[in-house]
Amino acid sequence: MNSLRTLHRTFLAGLLAIMLIGTANAQVLNLATNADPTLNPWSPGAVIESNLINTILFDQLTRYSPEDLTPIPALATAWEASEDGLAWTFELREGVQWSDGEPFDAEDVAFTFNDIVLNESLGAQSASQFDPIDSVEIVDDLTVRFVLNTPFSALPYYLASYAGIMPEHVLGDAPDPLTVASFNKSRPVSTGPFKVAEFVTGSHLRLEPNPLYWGGEPQLDGLIFRVIPDPNTQVAQAMAGQLDVVTRLSPQNVAGIEGGGRLEVLRQSQNLFYFIAPNHGDARFEDPQLKQAMLMAIDRQAMIDALLQGFGEVATGPVAPMLGALYNPDVQTYPYDPEAAAALLDELGWTMGSDGVRQKDGERLSFYMPTGQFGELVPATLLVQQYWEDVGIEADVQVMEWNAYIQDVVVGNNYEVTLAWWSMPPTADVDPYFSCAATESGGNNIPKYCNPELDAIMAEGRRAITLEDQIDIYARMQELLAVELPYLYLWYPDILTAKNVNLQGFPEITAATAFQHAVEWHIAE
Amino acid sequence: MISTEKASLPAQESSRDLGRFMRRVLRQPLGIAAAVLLLLLLALITFGPAFLEHSPTRTNPLATLQPPSASHWLGTDELGRDVFARIVHGGRVSLSVGLFSMLVGLTIGIAIGGSAGYFGGKVEGALMRLVDAFMAIPTFFLILVIVTSFGNHPVTIILTVGLGFWAQMARSAHAEFKRFRRSEFVEAGRALGGSHLRLMGRHILPQVLPQATVLGTLGVGWAILTEAGLSYLGLGIQPPLASWGNMLQNAQAYLWSQPMLAVWPGVFIAITVLAFNVLGNSLRDLLDPRS
Amino acid sequence: MTEFITQRLFQGVVVLFLVSLLTFFLINLAPGGPSSLIDFQSTAAEREARLARYGLDKPVHERYLNWLGGIVRGDLGTSINQGLPVSQLLMQRLGPTLWLGVASLLLAALFGIVLGIIGALWKNRWPDHLVNTIATLGMSIPNFWLGIVAIIVFAVQLGWLPSSGFASIGSGFDLGDRLAHLLLPASVLAFSLMPNVTRVTRAALLEVMTTDYVRTARSKGLQENRILGKHILRNAMVPVTAMLGLITTVLFSGSVVIESVFGFPGIGRLAIEAANGRDYPVILGVTLLAGLIVVVVNIVVDILYAVIDPRIRHD
Repeated sequence: MNSLRTLHRTFLAGLLAIMLIGTANAQVLNLATNADPTLNPWSPGAVIESNLINTILFDQLTRYSPEDLTPIPALATAWEASEDGLAWTFELREGVQWSDGEPFDAEDVAFTFNDIVLNESLGAQSASQFDPIDSVEIVDDLTVRFVLNTPFSALPYYLASYAGIMPEHVLGDAPDPLTVASFNKSRPVSTGPFKVAEFVTGSHLRLEPNPLYWGGEPQLDGLIFRVIPDPNTQVAQAMAGQLDVVTRLSPQNVAGIEGGGRLEVLRQSQNLFYFIAPNHGDARFEDPQLKQAMLMAIDRQAMIDALLQGFGEVATGPVAPMLGALYNPDVQTYPYDPEAAAALLDELGWTMGSDGVRQKDGERLSFYMPTGQFGELVPATLLVQQYWEDVGIEADVQVMEWNAYIQDVVVGNNYEVTLAWWSMPPTADVDPYFSCAATESGGNNIPKYCNPELDAIMAEGRRAITLEDQIDIYARMQELLAVELPYLYLWYPDILTAKNVNLQGFPEITAATAFQHAVEWHIAE
Repeated sequence: MISTEKASLPAQESSRDLGRFMRRVLRQPLGIAAAVLLLLLLALITFGPAFLEHSPTRTNPLATLQPPSASHWLGTDELGRDVFARIVHGGRVSLSVGLFSMLVGLTIGIAIGGSAGYFGGKVEGALMRLVDAFMAIPTFFLILVIVTSFGNHPVTIILTVGLGFWAQMARSAHAEFKRFRRSEFVEAGRALGGSHLRLMGRHILPQVLPQATVLGTLGVGWAILTEAGLSYLGLGIQPPLASWGNMLQNAQAYLWSQPMLAVWPGVFIAITVLAFNVLGNSLRDLLDPRS
Repeated sequence: MTEFITQRLFQGVVVLFLVSLLTFFLINLAPGGPSSLIDFQSTAAEREARLARYGLDKPVHERYLNWLGGIVRGDLGTSINQGLPVSQLLMQRLGPTLWLGVASLLLAALFGIVLGIIGALWKNRWPDHLVNTIATLGMSIPNFWLGIVAIIVFAVQLGWLPSSGFASIGSGFDLGDRLAHLLLPASVLAFSLMPNVTRVTRAALLEVMTTDYVRTARSKGLQENRILGKHILRNAMVPVTAMLGLITTVLFSGSVVIESVFGFPGIGRLAIEAANGRDYPVILGVTLLAGLIVVVVNIVVDILYAVIDPRIRHD
């Protein structure tokens, strides 16, 4: 009975949608998402399927410049750090209204950080990135002060990275502001250029222009996000002309999409690197030379060509070239050279054993290498296994289901080497993944690499306010990281986005930037 | 799914008249063809690896997705591995999983169904309710939950797939044991003071074997299909080990660009399962005098 | 009859209870936790806070009792990963699965019975062999692979039918569109269900055709068609009806894979998403719902059975 009612409801909703969408010349953009989004950027797990949508809905204090990714004003109009770098003051934009007409003010910013992000019992998404913040103080209606426990020069960058400001007047009374279904899964109150018009879970999310938006009227009449879990289907529908934007396109499908002529594929970037983490709890990794030999044994360009159809770049460190001046290309690199790798291993005393695996003092050069079923991780691991086998290093590969992998390998630290990735805001501040403090349980330094010299440089970087200082400091950091190899850097993948060739005003630099500027999207005639 | 039409005892007559039995065998040309095909397949996966030019796990990112050639008969996959070598090695895995799962299902099924049929009464009631309960759970849901919980070690897969099959076997074992427990030779054995286990094992079991053979043969096909389905969902046998199912799963991402990658493992699964099913049907015709 | 139904209902409740118990404890043995809570980029501290927040740090038996208490009150709980009531998710996903199930059941019944009749009427002649071959193929070809091949041929190469999904983008309910989306998955699923129906129909018809009263009818000179229509088919319906229960379980199992192949937003897909994402309340909800449907179908079948064939008594 109930299902009949559901069908009935779906039918009526659909009819309504046709009537609304079908009005003459309305310019509506069709996009795909791989699962039902959760319309709250801080909800645990609200990641791939949600974060670009949330970026449209919930304005942040800052956003990325479409030119060079430096933070530019959004809900904050100006910001400044104190002399000692321990306090940041943000001037908020005047006259901003929530989509329900309530005014936006400092209360909302304080609520978002003090009650959501810094409330440890909630475990908000990406909360740990804001560990340097102690609290957010309200100076006046339109001024807030971030009080820090350590200098954090990258703060304005981090505030532009999926850090939407939430409405205090709506979520303030909720016992758990992250799980309010009427908000997350239905009609959130937001500040962005588009607001939710309709959310049919399992089917689609329709956004309409927000007439109260502070930044002018959007040029499009609506955005529809279709829930299409299967990437093959996304491609089929894009090729059939039913989608205008497909984010996170898989490299195998680029040729097909481009062949159609209706869509073009943008090679965007993100501060994201794939790596092999050596577990430094293993004494064999004390000498960086072993890691250097292991890296030299891998033909990373060939892997990029095979796995990513060439859509990527060999990594030299954790800081991606997209960061411009902060990226230091002049570091020690490890081009593919199996002979040199073998020679170095010999020199280190790892001599070839009769079973084709090197050994030293009776210990075999063999590593337990668990991997999780996620994206390219399994095939990439199998390729690495082959390269290492060719120089006498054994990788004992164990493929695990993704959840089990996180539990056992990431949380339980039960591995010797493993292949994964980190995705970070566009800043050279990589502290959460490299610092000694982050090796403690609770941190993201999963290789457990701890180096006081590195910690000192990173702390210096967090204190440096000017770009010149930062460039100098982070150049030194990258030099050190390239020699020490806390992680074996693999590649920076291109983030592929297919978009309708007629869609204009769509910043090409990163997907996040493009979605932060959705107000400017328009269809060229 | 396995049909549970009756088969019954051919043992006495066939031993009495081998010639007549052979003539009946010859009247099953499809079954013979299926048996020959399975023997060939068995030979291929047993001895094939010794003659293969390529390793099934040797990756080569410089030679991915190659078309068939003299060196790579069926081309290479997305990691540059030889597809034919993977088919051969994958066949080992898929067939082993099929055979062993079937044995697991058959053993549990005969033990439980047989006891129910043999003892009757309360034991029968309780055991058969258990069988009913199992039949009421959509098998694949159960398998899904178990594999998620215990991981995808090959032994787990074999046990789980076997668990999905035992209830069917128990039903027919139940009927057969019930039929034979009052037969003359069992009564005779009982009079001689044989234990339950001995009576069941020595006297009844041989009578049930023909039908078990039929069900087992059909069961192998079902088990291979189930493992392939699990692998397709990423829950089956894991790489670097190749199985026909996980080859299909990998091919899924290349459906638009390299459809043949998805075709080969499917063809091998279909042919193998078809051969088991045809053989099973022929065995039933052969062993069941009523048809 | 009432007593019989009551007894079967009671048995059904016991079975469902056992299923829930088994599922709950099994799924809690699974390594990892709900994927939204233990997300890869999160830190261990964040994960712990979230697990505690959802009470997942409590012992398994305590959580089971809590859950069972909810069930008794008619509350299936809330999805951890999706943040929606489980009942809402089930309702939303049941529609597509029912469409798929009914469509494939109808196709399987139609073709299965027709083929079964052909097989019985031309027993051991070439049409029977052809029917037998088709049925064996249906049993042997992996349905998900057939689905993939169907997508390659009909969606990719020919472009006749949509490759996946339940409805076209941007349209409301449109029967033609719905049927176009159903055609491939339902046909593929029906193809794997059909052999069961064909075999049982054929066997039942053969048995009925040799019975005395059909012979009598024949000797009375009744036309072959009328015999087939009136006597044989009606009697043959008994075992075919009895198969419905079995077919429902097969249908559910098949839907898990087929819905994945065709990106169909149904119960089977929900089961996989929930199992992969360790969404405990959803896994339990799905298993219970599937079990409930199978139990109910079996009871209905038993009743129908008794109605169609009064010779059967239940003790």
